[in-house]
Amino acid sequence: MNILTCEGVRKIYGSGSNQVTALDGIDLTVSKGEFVAIVGASGSGKSTLLHILGSVDKPTSGTVMIDGTDLSRLNRTQAAIFRRRKVGLVYQFYNLIPTLTVRKNILMPLTLDKKKPDKEYFETIVTSLGISDKLEALPNQLSGGQQQRAAIARSLIYRPALLLADEPTGNLDRKNSREIMDMLKLSNRNLEQTILLITHDEKAALEAQRIITIEDGRIISDERRR
Amino acid sequence: MWKEYSSGYIKNNRSSGISVITATFISALLLSLLCSLFYNVWKYEAERIRLDEGGWQSRIIGTFDAQDIDTIRNFAHVKNVIVNEASQKSRESTSIQESASTQEAVQKQEVVLDIYFDDMRTVLEDTPRIAEMVGISPDEVTYNYELLAMYLIRSPQDTAPRLLFPMFILITLMASFSLIIIIHNSFAVSMNARVHQFGIFSSIGATPKQIRACLLQEAAALCILPILLGNLLGIAISMGLLQMVNTLLGNSIAGRHEAVFGYHPLVFATTLSVTIITIGISAWLPARKLSKLTPLDAIRTSGEPKLKRQRSSPILAFLFGIEGELAGNALKAQRKALRTASLSLVFSFMAFTLMQCFFTLSGISTEDTYFEKYQNVWDIMVTVKDTEIDSFTETARIRKLTGVRDAAVYQKAMVKTILTETEISDEMKAFGGFSHASGDNAVKTAAGWNVHAPIIILDDVSFMAYCKQLGIAPRLDGAIIRNQIRDVTSPDFRHPHYMPYIKEKKTCRLLNQSGENGENSEKETELEIPVLSCTDQVPALREEYATIDYYELVHFIPVSLWKEVKTKLAGSEEDTFIRVLGKENATLKDLNALQTKINQIVGGSYAIESENRIQEKNTNDIQIQGMMAILSGFCILLAIIGIGNVFSNTLGFVRLRKREFARYMSVGLTPEEIRKMFCIEALVIAGRPILITLPLAVIAVGYMLRASYLEVEVFLAKAPLIPVIIFMLAIFMTVALAYYLGWRNIRKINLAEVLRDETMM
Repeated sequence: MNILTCEGVRKIYGSGSNQVTALDGIDLTVSKGEFVAIVGASGSGKSTLLHILGSVDKPTSGTVMIDGTDLSRLNRTQAAIFRRRKVGLVYQFYNLIPTLTVRKNILMPLTLDKKKPDKEYFETIVTSLGISDKLEALPNQLSGGQQQRAAIARSLIYRPALLLADEPTGNLDRKNSREIMDMLKLSNRNLEQTILLITHDEKAALEAQRIITIEDGRIISDERRR
Repeated sequence: MWKEYSSGYIKNNRSSGISVITATFISALLLSLLCSLFYNVWKYEAERIRLDEGGWQSRIIGTFDAQDIDTIRNFAHVKNVIVNEASQKSRESTSIQESASTQEAVQKQEVVLDIYFDDMRTVLEDTPRIAEMVGISPDEVTYNYELLAMYLIRSPQDTAPRLLFPMFILITLMASFSLIIIIHNSFAVSMNARVHQFGIFSSIGATPKQIRACLLQEAAALCILPILLGNLLGIAISMGLLQMVNTLLGNSIAGRHEAVFGYHPLVFATTLSVTIITIGISAWLPARKLSKLTPLDAIRTSGEPKLKRQRSSPILAFLFGIEGELAGNALKAQRKALRTASLSLVFSFMAFTLMQCFFTLSGISTEDTYFEKYQNVWDIMVTVKDTEIDSFTETARIRKLTGVRDAAVYQKAMVKTILTETEISDEMKAFGGFSHASGDNAVKTAAGWNVHAPIIILDDVSFMAYCKQLGIAPRLDGAIIRNQIRDVTSPDFRHPHYMPYIKEKKTCRLLNQSGENGENSEKETELEIPVLSCTDQVPALREEYATIDYYELVHFIPVSLWKEVKTKLAGSEEDTFIRVLGKENATLKDLNALQTKINQIVGGSYAIESENRIQEKNTNDIQIQGMMAILSGFCILLAIIGIGNVFSNTLGFVRLRKREFARYMSVGLTPEEIRKMFCIEALVIAGRPILITLPLAVIAVGYMLRASYLEVEVFLAKAPLIPVIIFMLAIFMTVALAYYLGWRNIRKINLAEVLRDETMM
């Protein structure tokens, strides 16, 4: 079953002579439970694609369907609610709220929906991510790796249809990078979480089941590894 | 989000709300003061109307019997009916609620019925019905329009402009609008400092509505207490101001009654509503803008001030080198954050300076045209109400009082005279004669030019003294004409050029006010009286001549002559005046004592109002100082909003600009050089209001000087330099303090840590 379908997705910035085509007709499908890595050089359009898939940005043309929802038809409120429930976003620089504890950061998507967390699921996530003893700390009291794990926990709390990770190891050392990739693989395997990983790190990309290469806004290769 | 995020943020970041709290408090204070003062002005006016005109709402004049009056009394909504005898000079008032025998005694005679209603709103509807019921035409009904207008009850017949409420609404709207412009930026700064965090919220699923609600809840939490305190303090200040006015002015102003402070729950509700709406809009505008940012833009914003396009600061670079350029660019990048400070400091300093200049000019003008002009003309003036000069009998007693150097009693009358072409002076003809006359100041008739001829009727002793002053034989059977007209082509009222008005003549022809000169009316209304002298000297009276109607020809006549001619001329005004000169160099105490004695002599038999020159000057000075103090207070409050914004901005430096300063340090700028940059920024923030205001003030003062024909040197001698300099120094010092505190925080940053910290995606 396809969890993600992109058809003819284009994104153009600017106008006239200052026009920049960031995505130039992306066609892409991702099945449920797949772990996909999207690689490309700087400026290839991979982050733009991720933003569109995360409903943080809208395509200039084309359609994006995630779990049966056409993102191009969503208004801002609908896009925000969609993001909250259906998509988990992990950034290179964690983007935790500095004034909230780790626990509150993780539970924020549920809080926005005024929902109470499933305690068992919450315990599973924080334990498997190794941050159960850091729940009352503030982000600035954690190491980079710990912060990124908290960010991953936040992205998983709503059991999203799709987890989008934009260079999640870009700001980490090798050891932490390794650990983060292991966490992602774990969630993919154990929770059947569909993951799209943006990276320029070849080693990280090799952890995925499928590697898509983007260049100049187009998919130039789509390699399934296992 | 309130429980999870906002409440914790507010608790742990109190300094970030300083600007918002300060701005809110002062806005609430100003609005509360405005509403409270307006209410008390309204209350005072309503009381004044009731005291002067009576509290009646409608009035019917006619002949009524007891049954008619009873019927009116029993009419629905009628609270009371007061019967007055219809007489011109005095009125005896009899309440309808007195005994039945009194009622029986009231026979059918023309009376004035003053009607009071339970519900004033029914007055316009019910009174015509009442009139019809008792056989009076609705056209004979009069209303106390002035009082009714105070309660927003207007009749189409009331064409007078009643501006109190419209003025209040306009002033309140202007105040609210100005406050929104000034303080919404304080909210914006506080909110935009966390735009990155709100971007994160948006990226994890917070809707724009949730973000807006979060920001508005935070604003409400920060503002609720300042709003309440500001409102209460505004009420207290208005109470104090009213007390101050009562204390300072006392009974020194004729016709003034003591203002009693009042407050109504409805006024509080209105004030609170206006304040909450003003603050609410100020918070909503930036919240809405922030909630509309895309998550991407919001996350990418570090909060660090940025320039959107290349800007240069050539003047600062020229004056201060690289530090000047960096400071200029930093100020431009912070332009939005400092907008509140810029606006409020500029407005407050400009308002203060212009107000000081205006009052100085006004004071000079008043001093010149009034107090100095009449220095040796009057010390005490008494207005004897509703009294003809020929029936006033206390003149001699007043003259005999110790401390009285001179006393004159006079009354004014207005008649007309005819001037032929041959009577007009050659000098006046050379200036065009009556060709510049407008309106009915000089009307051409077959007999000549019909002009106004004010008559000053002097008591005989004063008139004789006037004759001696002019060097003519004292007589009581003729008039002395003020033979002076100013050059009407020159608008310079301060340095008028005078010339003779008429040629010397032996008699003058006076006409009554209607100025009729028809065949029959000549005998009834025209009078010829001898002219004793045509002169440019006038007796020492507190009067101005030909200031509005340049063509009036003033005549001075003794009361003995007036007695003979008044039946033909009529036109006398209601009141008689007593002008008293005290001894040389009389003090306030002397004049007060003399005034008391005069009041005792005259007040027993006549209705009077009296004033003394020194008291009037003191009262005038106090009034002006009071007004200046109040307006200065407003300016200072406005400046405090701006200073609050500067403090908030600089205390937020560490968080927002530490990467900027870390970069400077990493490329080699020394702490001393960064401190110099700070000083330049502070200098620009404090100096900008002055640089903007001073040229405008010079232009405004120049214009005012030209319009009032005052010399520059005269103004400069009394220019309000000290208060303006003090205000200027206060701005500089408070801004310097804010930047000093910011510098103390910046000095402590850890360079490596700051450069490592990255908030970008």
